[in-house]
Amino acid sequence: MKKPVFYLLSSLLFLLPALMLAVKSFTPVWKWGEPLSFDWTLRGWEVFLMDSRIYEALLLSILIALTVTFLNLFVGILAGKALSHSDFKGKGLLETFLLLPLFIPTMAAALGLHITMIRLGLANQWLGVVIVHLVPTIPYTIKVMKAGYDRVGSGIIEQAKVLGGGSFHVFRSIELPLLMPSVRSAVFLTVTISMSQYVLTAVIGGGNVITLPIIYYPFLQSVNDTVMAAFSIAFALLPVIAVAVVELLSKLLTYKGTLVNRGVT
Amino acid sequence: MKKSFFLTQSILILALAGCTGQPPASNSSEQTEQQTWEEIRQTAAGETVRMYMWGGDEGINQYMDEWVKPRLKEEYDVTLERIPLNTNEIIQKLETEKRAGQQDGTIDLIWMNGENFKRAKESSLLHGPFTEQIPNYQSYYDTESLDFTYDFGTETEGFEAPWGKVQFVFHYDSSKISNPPSTLEELQKWTRENPGKFTYPAAGDFTGDAFIRHVLYGKASSLEQLLDEPFSMNLIEEESEDVWRYLNEMEPDLWRSGETYPSSLTELDRLYSQGEIWMTMGYNEARAEVLVEDGIFPETTESFILEEPGSIGNTHFLSIPFNSPNKEAAMAAIDFMLAPDAQSAKLSPEYWGENTPIDLTALSSEQKEPFEKIDRGKTVLDQQTLNDAFLPEIDAAYVPWLQEKWIDEVASQ
Repeated sequence: MKKPVFYLLSSLLFLLPALMLAVKSFTPVWKWGEPLSFDWTLRGWEVFLMDSRIYEALLLSILIALTVTFLNLFVGILAGKALSHSDFKGKGLLETFLLLPLFIPTMAAALGLHITMIRLGLANQWLGVVIVHLVPTIPYTIKVMKAGYDRVGSGIIEQAKVLGGGSFHVFRSIELPLLMPSVRSAVFLTVTISMSQYVLTAVIGGGNVITLPIIYYPFLQSVNDTVMAAFSIAFALLPVIAVAVVELLSKLLTYKGTLVNRGVT
Repeated sequence: MKKSFFLTQSILILALAGCTGQPPASNSSEQTEQQTWEEIRQTAAGETVRMYMWGGDEGINQYMDEWVKPRLKEEYDVTLERIPLNTNEIIQKLETEKRAGQQDGTIDLIWMNGENFKRAKESSLLHGPFTEQIPNYQSYYDTESLDFTYDFGTETEGFEAPWGKVQFVFHYDSSKISNPPSTLEELQKWTRENPGKFTYPAAGDFTGDAFIRHVLYGKASSLEQLLDEPFSMNLIEEESEDVWRYLNEMEPDLWRSGETYPSSLTELDRLYSQGEIWMTMGYNEARAEVLVEDGIFPETTESFILEEPGSIGNTHFLSIPFNSPNKEAAMAAIDFMLAPDAQSAKLSPEYWGENTPIDLTALSSEQKEPFEKIDRGKTVLDQQTLNDAFLPEIDAAYVPWLQEKWIDEVASQ
C-alpha cells in the first residue's frame, strides 16, 4: 500500500519536473495555450558550450568543491564526535558559536574576508576560494556529523577499544561505515553549497578563479528558457558526480567485510 | 585533553580568516600621462588586458571573443581576456583593494556607467584622466558633447571613454496593436481600452525606474531645470506629484489590475513572450532583434517611442582601475574598441546590434559606408526618429528617491 503511493508521489513531484527540464533544454520557448510542438533545438546547449572556458570551469568547480568537502569532513567528523560523545563546560555555547557563520550576510562576510585574504596573499587564488567556501559549509557539516555520532552512540566504539582496537582502526572499521549516511548528506550539502557560491567566489577569486557559477549566474537574467534549462541540468549533475567520487573513496578507505557487510547495523 | 584538541582545531580553521599577515609590498603606479602614444603602444605590445564585464548576453560575449579579441591581437599585439563578473562585484573588489592598499590588481579594463561610475570616481578607484591620449577618441568623437562629459550627472573628466549608447524604446506586438500610442495620454487611453495588457517593472528594477523617469519628464513643468541642476529635494517633491497621479490612475487597468508588478525586466519580457501583455520596453533600441530571431518574442514585434516626452538614452563607458597592472595595454584596447570598424561591427545585429557614440560627421565617406550599409533589423526604429526623441538622463541621485517614493505613493496605495 505504501510503496505505490511513494512511487506516485516521487514521480509526480520529482521525476516529472526533472524530465520536463530535460525536454525544455532541447525545445524552443513554448507559449501557454499553444499546441505542443516538438521542434528539437540544440540552441540551449550551444550557448552553454559556447564559452570556451566552460570545461576548465567545470573541472575547477569540482576540484574546489571536493577540496572543500574533504576539509569539511575532517573538521566535521572530529568536531561532531567531540560535541556528541563528550561533556564539558560551555558545550551549548560552543555549539551555537559554531553555527554563527550561517547568520552573517554573505556580502558582509565577503568584504572582511577579502581584506584578510589580500593580506595573506590568498586573494585571487583557488586556495583562497576554498577557504572562503568553508564559511557557509562547515556549520552544516558539524551539525550533520554530530547527529550521526548521536545515532551511533558511544557504546560500540568503547567496546571496540576495550577489545584492543587502535583509534584509527576503530574509525575505519566501525565509525566510518556506520556514519556513511551522515557523510553522504554532508557531502551533498557541501558540494551543492560550494558550487552555488557566486558572491564569495567572485570577490575572493576576483575573476582569476572562474568557476561554473561565475559563467552561469549572469545568464539567470535571461528570458530564454531553453538556455536556462540547459544550464540548470549541467549545474544539477555536478553534485551527483561529486557524491560518486566521495562514495568511491570511502569504499577504498573502509575495510572489506566490516560489521555492516555482515549484516550488523 | 584529546577531545579539546579536536575542537580547537576546528575552531582554528574557522578562525583562519581572522588572522592578519603582512601586506604585500606595493609597486608604485606607473604614470601614463607623460608618455606619447607611440611609447604607450610599444609598452602595450605583447601584454595581456583583463577586461571585467557583465557576461549575461551571448551576443556581447561573442562580439568580444570572436571579433575584438583576434583583431586586437593582430593590430596591437595585445591579448584580451574577458572575465564575466557583475559590475557591482567589480567595484566592490576595487574598493576593498584600495582599502587594503593593493597596488598590483588584476583588472585592466571595466565597462560601466551611471551610479557605478559615480561610486568608482568618488572613491578614486580609477586611473586617469586618460581620454586625451586616446587617438581614436580625439579624432572620431565629439569630445565636447554633454553625453560624454557627463555620465548621469557625474562629470567624467577624462576618466572614462564612451563605448556605446542606448536609447529607451517600447516593443509591441503589431498583430495585436495597429497604432501604438505616441504620448503619455495616449498610452493611458490605450491601457483603459485594453485592460490588463500593459504593465511596467516595479521601481527598483533598472527598466522600471526608467519608465517612471519618462513619466516624470512628461509631467514635469520645468524639465530644463531638472536636467540642468543637481539633485534638489524641493524641486522633485513638487514635480513628481503629477507622476504619482498619472501612475495611480493607470493602475486599475494594468496587468492583474496593478495588484502586483513584475519585479524585473526578465519577468516583463516573459509575460510579453507568453502573450499575457502586449507591450514590453527596455534600454537598447535593438534588443528585440535577437529575441525575435530566437523565437522568444513574436515575429510581429515592433518598436515605438513616446514622441511626448521622448526617449531617454545614455552612454556607457570604458575605464581603467587605479591598480591595473597593464595600463598602457588597456589604453591600446580602448583605442581599438573606439575605432570606426570596431564600432560598426558592434552596430551589426550579427553580434550586439548596439548603437555607436561615434561622430559620423568626423568620418571619411569610406569609413562611414559600413555604418550606413548596416540593416539593424525591422524591430529597430530608424536613427532619425531616435535622434529626434533623444532625452538625456537626470542626476543619478533622483533614481533612489523616485524608487522609494513609488513604493509609498503607488505600490502601497
